[in-house]
Formats: sequence, structure tokens, C-alpha cells
Amino acid sequence: MKERLVTTVNGRRIERYVDPSMRLVDFLRDELLLTGTKIGCKQGECGACTIIMNGTAVLSCIMPVMKAMDAEILTIEGLEKDGTLHPIQDEFIKGGAIQCGFCTPGFIMGTKALLDENPSPTSEEVREELSGHICRCTGYKKIEEAVLKAAERLREEKDD
Amino acid sequence: MTKYVGKNIPRLDGYDKATGRGLYTTDVNLPHMLHAAVLRSPYAHAKVVSIDVSEAEKMDGVVAIATRDNTPRTYFNVTASMILTVPPAKPVLDQQIFPDVVRYIGDEVAAVAAETLEIAKEAIKKIKVVYEELPAVYDVEEAMKDGAPQVQPDFSPGNNLCGGVIKIRQGDVDAAWDEGEVYAEHTMYLPRVKQAQLETHGAVASYNPDGNLKVYSTTQTPYPCKVIIATVFGMPSSYVRVKNPPHVGGGFGVRIGISAKAELIASALSIIAKRPVKYIYSREEDFLASDTRHGGLIKCRLAAKKDGTFVALDAKACMNTGAYATFGPDLVAVLGACGIAGIYGIPNIRYDGHAIYTNQQTAGAFRGYGTPQGTIATEMCVDSIAKQLGMDALELRLKNTTRVGADWWFPYPVKSTYLNECLEQCAESIGWKEKRGKKQTGTIRRGVGIACGTHVSNAAPFCVDYDAAYMRIESDGTLHVASSIPEIGPGVTTGLLQIAAETVGVPLETSRLAYGDTDVGPFDIGSHASRTLYAVGHLFVKIGKELKKQILEWAAKFLYVDVETLDLVDGEIIGSCEKSRLCIKPMPLGELAYEAHLRGKQFLVHGCEVPPNSPPWHAHAAEVEVDMETGMVKVLKVAAAHDVGVAINPVLVEGQIEGAVAMGVGYAIREEMTYEEGKGFYNDSYHKYMLPTMDEMPEIDTIIVDAFDPAGPYGAKGIGECGLVPTAPAIISAVEDAIGIRFYEMPMTPGRVLKKIKEVYGDDLENL
Repeated sequence: MKERLVTTVNGRRIERYVDPSMRLVDFLRDELLLTGTKIGCKQGECGACTIIMNGTAVLSCIMPVMKAMDAEILTIEGLEKDGTLHPIQDEFIKGGAIQCGFCTPGFIMGTKALLDENPSPTSEEVREELSGHICRCTGYKKIEEAVLKAAERLREEKDD
Repeated sequence: MTKYVGKNIPRLDGYDKATGRGLYTTDVNLPHMLHAAVLRSPYAHAKVVSIDVSEAEKMDGVVAIATRDNTPRTYFNVTASMILTVPPAKPVLDQQIFPDVVRYIGDEVAAVAAETLEIAKEAIKKIKVVYEELPAVYDVEEAMKDGAPQVQPDFSPGNNLCGGVIKIRQGDVDAAWDEGEVYAEHTMYLPRVKQAQLETHGAVASYNPDGNLKVYSTTQTPYPCKVIIATVFGMPSSYVRVKNPPHVGGGFGVRIGISAKAELIASALSIIAKRPVKYIYSREEDFLASDTRHGGLIKCRLAAKKDGTFVALDAKACMNTGAYATFGPDLVAVLGACGIAGIYGIPNIRYDGHAIYTNQQTAGAFRGYGTPQGTIATEMCVDSIAKQLGMDALELRLKNTTRVGADWWFPYPVKSTYLNECLEQCAESIGWKEKRGKKQTGTIRRGVGIACGTHVSNAAPFCVDYDAAYMRIESDGTLHVASSIPEIGPGVTTGLLQIAAETVGVPLETSRLAYGDTDVGPFDIGSHASRTLYAVGHLFVKIGKELKKQILEWAAKFLYVDVETLDLVDGEIIGSCEKSRLCIKPMPLGELAYEAHLRGKQFLVHGCEVPPNSPPWHAHAAEVEVDMETGMVKVLKVAAAHDVGVAINPVLVEGQIEGAVAMGVGYAIREEMTYEEGKGFYNDSYHKYMLPTMDEMPEIDTIIVDAFDPAGPYGAKGIGECGLVPTAPAIISAVEDAIGIRFYEMPMTPGRVLKKIKEVYGDDLENL
């Protein structure tokens, strides 16, 4: 039994018939071929599958696909504009916040949701808000630094 | 002055990874591809009497079923030791794809390839297996007793010993022992811990009936992986191609060789189905059916003079290697060499290492490869000697560390060590003088501790360790380098291109490294042993110089000038003003290369070499807070000082240190695989395995000491594993400083700590 799903992904309206028992991450990865969103555990425990839905960071690996009905979804693929990186992406690269990169899309989307909500987070807020993301490579230090730098840049861009 | 070496070049795969464009094995989808699931043993030790696949076969969408009955029976070892063991030693080949006797809960019994993963998972439930349960053994000390159940009777001389006793001998411990005036003797119990890399093991295998097999893989050693696959299936190695897609979501040692059995199972199914097959381990399978770090016990004793001079060190390690050898024997050797024999200049050393089979999942390589375990044991004795002598633990270390030119056990010389600088700088950062040994009272108690160590910059000459690569100049003057090394995360492919561009004298911006593919580059042992930047970098310097020479010699003939008057700098041929007509106008390499191209010449070099080896050195100081009421240990700060020689890319080096510190913190106070008899390991998910998270990380002061190694490329040494080595012992030492209790069992979880506090201080915590 398939259900009709209408949703918007990275600004594009999508209409598909889907198996409603599917998780959102599988819809994104297998149906839309947006493989930038990663699966680290499929149990909602590592944050690698984080996307933004209606402005909020969500774990797409435990999200039933039908929850995306009429929603606005932003995935990592929707962050860069015409080859220009979003400041969060840029700071992650420059600051050495990326190693194996498997947690990176989720971290970046989590950061985007955090900074949209709170443009001037403290170190403690960054650590607390992003503590649901597991990174086994970096020790988190450079990620925290990159998030704070990106926040600063985004504030400056807003001021300009 | 260098243009690229020593510079913080942002990693070249950053764009791919930050945008989600880059492919990992889990992202690979091929036309007509099937999905695989694996049936695993529910018993720790059992004979597989029969396997009935008839019900599963009937299922709609099931395309291929692989069992012992239709797959090769070849014995192998999933690790690269299979093809890299130095004669006369022989690799232990004790694994089969689907064994007749399953030896741990999770051992492979059968696999299904189906049109969807859901169908494959349903199908394995319908496979009927008759098992005949056998007696099992889980504990190292139990397994070594006479009469214990034998896990691998065909591959063990008895008492579940795997691969023989590893012996390291220097001087005469027995004769020298009485020269000691103060003695330390302790036994350290170590947990199993898991790599828990973010991308689980996986492979997409595509077998073509013309005999070619292409495998996308998460391996951290593509070339050895290819050779193992070819050997297991009896195929010409040249017909097998292993490729990282190119990204790999971490490694930390867990896929040196093949990725558990991912490549073999995907290949076996693809050969049967003649269609591509994707097999991605679930997180549960990754936790429960691939190598962990070795747990076990290390007995260690140290004799010293009253002035603190170490006289003799005697150690015995018994490590739980699980159901199959994988890296067991090799790893206990490194444990003894780097963790026991390497750190201090001690004239008399004896070490006996035992890898012991048990009916648990396998233990193998995990960042540090035994060195962290050995270092914890050595440092426990060093701290004990300091305590007994009333000597500062830092001073005692400074007095005994290995020196340049030391007469040590290793077959290569110590050409550089800045270990004492590391010790002093991390001590300074932590506030050692002010804080160490300050009596603590009350509920929250603070302490500082220190530890140090060494490791390797590659695995030579302990295993067959070499690299080969090609370098060429394209007809537009740009540099192309080809190697089969993988990039598992540290950024070596960026650092290596910095070395190549620097050496040849061309811009980094137009240079490219093709990697992670056995069809692209010749043999390379791969990424492990803190080796890749050091060893492949050493080769790149060698062939980069040859390439430059070849270019300049051709340029000299072409330009009718003496070759000595020419140089290649930043992509331009420049001449000396005294003799050359190129004095005024440098010639872009692109112009020269195109002229060469028009005359049928490409500048092209290749090389193959065994690298030298340079021990890296490191010292960490930690500050902790212990809650006497909850037993909670909080690590406040780790000052991590490292002698990596010259840092080719300091930000990348810092990244290696910081990530390894985080793992070391987890190792010391949280992470542990807990075995439940009859059920297997409890820790089947991130939720049940306590990894450090962002909000719990201590402050890390990352210190790269000013150093240079004469053997390394541009003075560099290895770094990948080093940050893990001294972290846990520094934290154990800090806990002892805080509460006066030394832990001989890890991790220092609240339960364990509170139990000890009650033992020592009694139940009346009010009176602390």
C-alpha cells in the first residue's frame, strides 16, 4: 500500500507515492538520491541523519516518511548556493572540523538550526545543543570553534 | 623556506564532505543491485550440523543465498597480517567465510541477497540451522587453564594460545633484579572497547561473469583487501579491484585488511547472483561482529635504584583475542615493544605476550595497536616507584626516558626524541608544580597526573610494510600523483599532496592525488600504524625529486643550457642569471610540458620503497575532579604535548591529537564492552556504549613541540594513534592524585570508583 506524499525538499516541490512504513532518511537517500544525509545508527542515537524540517533539526532516521507531508525540508544538499558554501560549511572546512566527514552533514544541519534559533550561542550552549551528535574523529574541539566562528560570520553578514 | 610544508592548508576533500556530495560506500548504488543480510550464530560455541535454506529460497525477491555449502572453504585472516607477516613467522589463517563451527555469538552462518534489504532480513529468519552446542570459555585466565574448552584446537598449541608466545628480551632481568632498591609490581585489568567509527563496515561488490570483480569498500587498506579477496575466491589478483568511493567514515584500525567480512560476503553473493550486491553492517552488527580493542590483563614489575634509575622491567600480557586471531599475535608484540620496552631507557627488559582465544567476538587493531595497553601498565609501575621514593613523578620520568642513540630493543635507531620537552610542556600547561600532590578534602577532589609514551611511524620492519606510487606531469604542466592509499579521515591525502607539490616545485592548486583505488595506484600497504603521511611522504619526497630532475634535464637539453643553472620553482623553470638565457623570463612548466608532449615525452616517475621508521614521542598531563559521593570522574583538562617531528599541516596534526584524546578519555572513564554469558556483548548500539559527547569534553591544550626528525619526510614523524597512548594513564594518575586511590581496572566508571572509595574510606562518606 502506497501513500501520496507531497513535500518540499531544498525548495523543490516533491510529489511521490511512498511506502508509509518507510523512514524519512530512506526516502531522502533512496528515492530522492540525496545521499548527503548519512545513516550512522538508524536508531536516533548519533545525529548523522540530522536534517531541518520546518525550521527544526530532526533525526530523519527515526522519522516516519509521512511526517514530511506538506513540510519544508532542508538537507545538506540545499545549503550551498550556486557553488558558494554556506558560512557554516566554510568554517567547518577551514577550521579542521571535518575528518572522516561522516558526521559532518548532520553536524552542519544541527548547527544551522542552532544558529537560526540562537545567533549568539555561548560555548556551553553550543556544546549542549550539539551533544546529540557523535563525532569519533575530532574530539569536538575544532567543531565547537567552527560553530562559534560561523555564528560570528553570520552575525556580521546580517549586520552588513 | 617551504611553500606548503608546515602550512595549514584546508583539507582538499572538505568541499565534498561539507556539502554531502562526496560518496561513501553506504552511498554507492549500482544498476540492478541487490541488498544483503547475514544470519549470525546465537551460540558462543557450536557445531553447525545442518543448514536448510529451502524456505528462504522460496521467498519472492530472494536472489542468492550463500552458506558454507556454496562458497569457498579457504582459510584466511580478515586482517592484512594475512599477506604482510614477515617470514619465518607465519600468519594465523583460522577464519572461513561461513565456518563449520561457530565460535562466538555473531559468527557468520549464512547470507541472503534480495531485491530489497527488508526481504533479505525476512529471508534469513527462514533459514533453519541445527546447532550442536559446545562448551565455551570467555575469560582469559580461565581459557589459559588446563582442561579449558579449546576454541581453535587446529590453530593453537594448547591452552588457547594464539600464534605462540611473543618474547622481547633485553639484558638479563633475572640477574639484574637484585640490583634494584625499590620495586613496583601490579596487575592491570583492561576492558574491551570499540572503535565505533561513524560509518559501519560495508561493501558493494559487483562480479562480472567475465571474471572481474569490483568492490567498493570501507577498508583502510585497499590493496591488501584486494589480495585477500582474490586469495579467498581463488581469482587472479589482477581481476579484483577494490575502491574506496573515495570517502571512508573512519577506521581507527578496525578495517586493516577487509572490513570485518563485508567485502567477502558481498562478493560471495555477487558471484552467485551475478549482480551487484550491497552489504552494509547495521550498527548492531558493527558493534557485535567486528574487532574490538584487546582487553585482558598485564602483569608488570619494575625495579629501580633509590635515585630513581630504572634497572629492570618485567611484564607479561594475556590479551583476549576472541574467537579468531585477526591481529592478536602481532598486536601483543607491539604492546610489548612500544608500550613496555620503548618508553624508558632500561637495560634489562623481559616481556612475554600472549594472545588468547576465547568464545567472544574478535579483538584486533584499534588506534594504538596495543601500545595504549602496554603504556598503562608501564606507567602504573613508574608512578608506584615515584610514590615509594617520594620523588616527583615528572622528575622520575625525565630521568629515565629513552634518549637519542639509545641502545634499545628496536631494530632502528632513535634519531630524535623530544619526549622530555613534551613532559615539561604538558606539565607546565596543567600547572603541575602548583597542583600535584596537594592534599584534597571534601566531596569534590581535584588532582593532576602525567604519563608519556612512544609508538611507531609505520609497521616496518615488524610487518611487510612498503609503498609504491606514480607521479607524472600532465601536458599542461600540472602534477598528477597516483597511489592506492585510502583517506579514512586524518587528512593525509592533503598533507601528502603538500609534500609532493613542495618537492617537485609546482603549485598545490593544480596538483592532484588520485587515491583509494587499486586500479589507480600500485601496491600500498594502506593507512594504519600512524604511517601514511610519514611513509608515503618519504616515498613522495624520493620520487618527487626524481621527477624534478627528469624535468630539469629535459628542459636543459631543450633550452640548450646547463642543467645546473635551472630550477623548478612554483611551476616555473627558472634559470640562473649568470649563465642562462632564462634569466629574465621564467618558463611556465606547462609550456615546457607541452613542448615535451609534442615530442612524445611525458615526465613520469614511479617508486617503491620500504620506509625508515622514527618513533614519535608524547606526554599528556590531565586534571580531574572526583566526586566522592557519586564516584563520578570528570576530566577537566588534558594537556597533550607531542613530538611529531615537523608538523606538515599543523591543524591536521592537532585534529589527530584532539580526536585521540577524546578516545583516551572515553577509554579511561566510560567506554567498556560488557559480556553477558549466553547473550553476548551488551553494547549493541551507541545508546548502550558510552562514547564521550561534546558537552562532556575536557579542555584540550594541544601542544606540538618544536622538533625535527632526520629520517622523516621534511622532518616529520607519525601522529595518527599517538594521542590515545598517554591519555588514560595520565587520567588514572590524576585520579590517584585526587583521592589517593590507584585504579588497576578500567574504565573508572562511577560504580567502580565508588566501590573503591568505600573500600578505602569506609561507608561513612560524611567524614571524608
